[in-house]
Amino acid sequence: MCGIIGYTGDRQAREVIMAGLKRLEYRGYDSAGVGIVDRDLDIFKDKGEIDHIEETMPDIRGNFGVGHTRWATHGPPMKINAHPMTDCHGKFALVHNGIIENYITLKEGLVERGHKFTSETDTEVAVHLLEENYEGNLEDAVRRTVAQLEGSYAIAVLHSDERGKIVGARMISPLVVGLGRNENFLASDVPAILEYTDRMIYLLDGEIVTVTKDDVRIQNIEGNPVERSWERVDMTLEGAEKGGYEHFMLKEIFEQPKVIQDTLIGTSMSTENGYTTSFSPDTIKIIACGTSYHAGYVGKHMFEEIAKTPTTVELASEYRFSSSTASRPLIIGITQSGETSDTLAAIRTAKRRGLDTLGIVNIVGSTMTREVDEVFFTRAGLEVGVAATKTYITQLIALASLAIKMGMSKNTIGIDQARQLTNQMRTLPKHVRTILDDSDCIRELAEGLTGARSMFFLGRSINYPVALEGALKMKEISYIHAEGYPGGELKHGPLALVTSETPVVAIAVKDQTYEKMLGNIGEVSARGAKVIGVGTEGDKELAKYVDHTIMIPQVPHIFTPVLTSVVLQLLAYYAANALDCEIDKPRHLAKSVTVE
Amino acid sequence: MISIANRPILEYSIEALAANKVTDITMVVGYKKESIMSHFEDGGDWNVKISYVDQKKRVAKAGTAYALSMVKKHVKGDFIVLPGDNIIGPNVIADLIDQTGKYRIVITESEEPSKYGVVELSGKVVKNIVEKPTEHIGNLISTGIYKFSDEIFKAIDTVMGSGKYDLTSVIQHMIPKTKVTAVKTGGVWNDVVYPWDMLEVNAIALRKCASQTSGRIDKGVTMKGPVNIGEGTIIRSGTHIMGPVIIGEGCEIGPSVCIYPSTSIGANVRIGPFSVVEHSVLMDDIIINSGSYVSHSVLGEGVELGPQFCAAEDAVVMRTEDENRPVERLGALVGEKTVMGSQVSVRPGTLIGARCRIAHQTRIDRDVEDKTIVM
Repeated sequence: MCGIIGYTGDRQAREVIMAGLKRLEYRGYDSAGVGIVDRDLDIFKDKGEIDHIEETMPDIRGNFGVGHTRWATHGPPMKINAHPMTDCHGKFALVHNGIIENYITLKEGLVERGHKFTSETDTEVAVHLLEENYEGNLEDAVRRTVAQLEGSYAIAVLHSDERGKIVGARMISPLVVGLGRNENFLASDVPAILEYTDRMIYLLDGEIVTVTKDDVRIQNIEGNPVERSWERVDMTLEGAEKGGYEHFMLKEIFEQPKVIQDTLIGTSMSTENGYTTSFSPDTIKIIACGTSYHAGYVGKHMFEEIAKTPTTVELASEYRFSSSTASRPLIIGITQSGETSDTLAAIRTAKRRGLDTLGIVNIVGSTMTREVDEVFFTRAGLEVGVAATKTYITQLIALASLAIKMGMSKNTIGIDQARQLTNQMRTLPKHVRTILDDSDCIRELAEGLTGARSMFFLGRSINYPVALEGALKMKEISYIHAEGYPGGELKHGPLALVTSETPVVAIAVKDQTYEKMLGNIGEVSARGAKVIGVGTEGDKELAKYVDHTIMIPQVPHIFTPVLTSVVLQLLAYYAANALDCEIDKPRHLAKSVTVE
Repeated sequence: MISIANRPILEYSIEALAANKVTDITMVVGYKKESIMSHFEDGGDWNVKISYVDQKKRVAKAGTAYALSMVKKHVKGDFIVLPGDNIIGPNVIADLIDQTGKYRIVITESEEPSKYGVVELSGKVVKNIVEKPTEHIGNLISTGIYKFSDEIFKAIDTVMGSGKYDLTSVIQHMIPKTKVTAVKTGGVWNDVVYPWDMLEVNAIALRKCASQTSGRIDKGVTMKGPVNIGEGTIIRSGTHIMGPVIIGEGCEIGPSVCIYPSTSIGANVRIGPFSVVEHSVLMDDIIINSGSYVSHSVLGEGVELGPQFCAAEDAVVMRTEDENRPVERLGALVGEKTVMGSQVSVRPGTLIGARCRIAHQTRIDRDVEDKTIVM
């Protein structure tokens, strides 16, 4: 998974490409490169972050070029494996995002025919194929080349003899065309080029686009022209500035009261008008990856409690390879970016099985929104921090809203209960703000965790997935090994690992699991573990069982995950910050995972 | 952040600066700095560039001079200083920067000079400045808006060394050696010194309110005068709104609620049936249950009022640190996240702190401290 960008126009291509790559950095950041044509093709690429590349880069001039930021899949992060890739004669510069699955076969043939390979990447086959297929017209060569490729790709390529022309092609991996005045753009993602234009064409699978400074032409894989109109993107870049915060992650944590409210505004009016979702399924299956999977797991409890609908949660990468069964669940796919390959592939599998699909997506216009039958947009805005925070919170709100709608359409709750639940949801921004206002005490506790090598997060029922998410956040940004576990399962194994050196965070809010959680806390503290208890305001009992408490305001237990999650986000953030970790760019991770 | 006409007070200053092409802005922030940073970010929405300096020490002696000393490394040459809690119109800034002079103070006439630093002039030159004088020496006051040169940081160090931490003392210290000129302005300047000042300042700001409605307005809603309603807000039937009134995003008002002039209602506020709100400032996330009466009152963010709450207004005398101040009409002033049961009634002019819990059917006849539980 990588980010690509192409530019042609009157500006210095280097400036546009470097600015764009910085905004694409969330897609990968182990190496980067640019290829720009002035008289000849100039390539500069290296291992390292974009800032490092920019500092060491010579003054490459020229008005058209391509750029790339890489997250290694085939071949380790090294200069030779960075893009752009060139052919044997240094005429083409090609950048690629995705995975070419049949590259080994293709490579064998190319080597036999005398091509010299310089990298270990799958991408390099594409540029040598282009060389073979080239008869003086770049887009024809691209069309013939992509016909030979299997897998996923978004590519942008130029030929140094065809001045001012960039050709792009898309299969599965995202690619947008930005329309400017006397200049045009190609990019993996809208924010990369939003500084220059808000008029975008989202390329579809199998389409090939030829971009010059005053023309954009799209054709399909058969070579027939395709008419596509542009869309105006309603997104601002302001969200992409840190505005005084030390890290994007902290800024995004503090934006949560606002985005909860924005998401509620999007949904509450329709609920109260009696609008219900068009689905009232017998069963639900939620598919997602990573943090979205944890949101889905919370959603399972909401659907079962409010809509009385049996719900299963499955990792998208697992669902794809599961066998089809007799049940016909509604498939709910959750992906912030709408581009997560595993989730998209799982949705496609579900559609092949003839199932209804619903997407919970943050990015308008993303691939997911075109693939599913119905979309619920979270209104979290642009999220830059690699560790998801505000998008996850809005996913919880989305799931609760859907559960309420579904409950009404299945008559498991009446309009009075729906109204009460909606009103209770509307108090959440205020309660989240209370937690944020008191974050200093969480910081102090987090700073005490920095010596730990391993941690446990415990929760039960609807707060079990929150424990999973708390552990994931801790792992991904602070590099402290952490495991989320259901309170009751600890004694079936992991208790053996609990010592005085393993801090435990236990979610013990006042609900049906409270007494049992106190028992589980007793089990770990008996083994000398220091316990941080996350409890409900006004609970005087909890402090007797744990070493430290963090209290959340009282809300119905179905909404407690919104508050307990914020507590655990802050705990992970402050622990990582005290350890001086690269919070916004954790090692080996990228924001939207567009490889499988 | 305190909002006037649903916009944080600071936003008025930022706009005034931007209108005068003053775009390089440093904010000294402290407690709850995140809410300020989240709102303004890098200033791009206002076409300015904002950076932040955290005034880490939050001690009692940290006065205005101390706050200014925080930015020593961030400013070069001449610069403007604005207080964060004043409403400042663009003309004030224009008057300040239209003439040269390294040290300039914006002054204005005040009916209550003893609240401020009072300035004595000779022509346009400041001869003396006295903070909160006990005897009447004139009614020209410093607005706390200055133009300085970076040489002032030396004077700040000296004055703070002698144990004084306010800017008035620094200026007093400089007067014998440096020419400090006064700029009298006719531009808009309002100061919120006491919580009840907000009502008047809010009413003035709302005079500029323009009618604009989004959200959903049911049949049978009457609206007169300028009424501004935010996205996603629902106004239910039988509701009567007399502008100028501004209502934020995602609110639910009515059915059958009366909202009378000079009222600002923040985002995500719910007001139940048969309630009356008049000449009041309501922050975000407030819940007012049915049958309540809120007049000439300020309700902080997240306040919840049970059914039949009553805050009637009257002429009152408010006691401040050093004196008694008559206020023409005042209801209740309620701090953030305070929750009240049903049928609570509040004596006019009462201050209720933040995060209090007040039981059903309570009569509040004196001020209540933060986090108090009233049984």
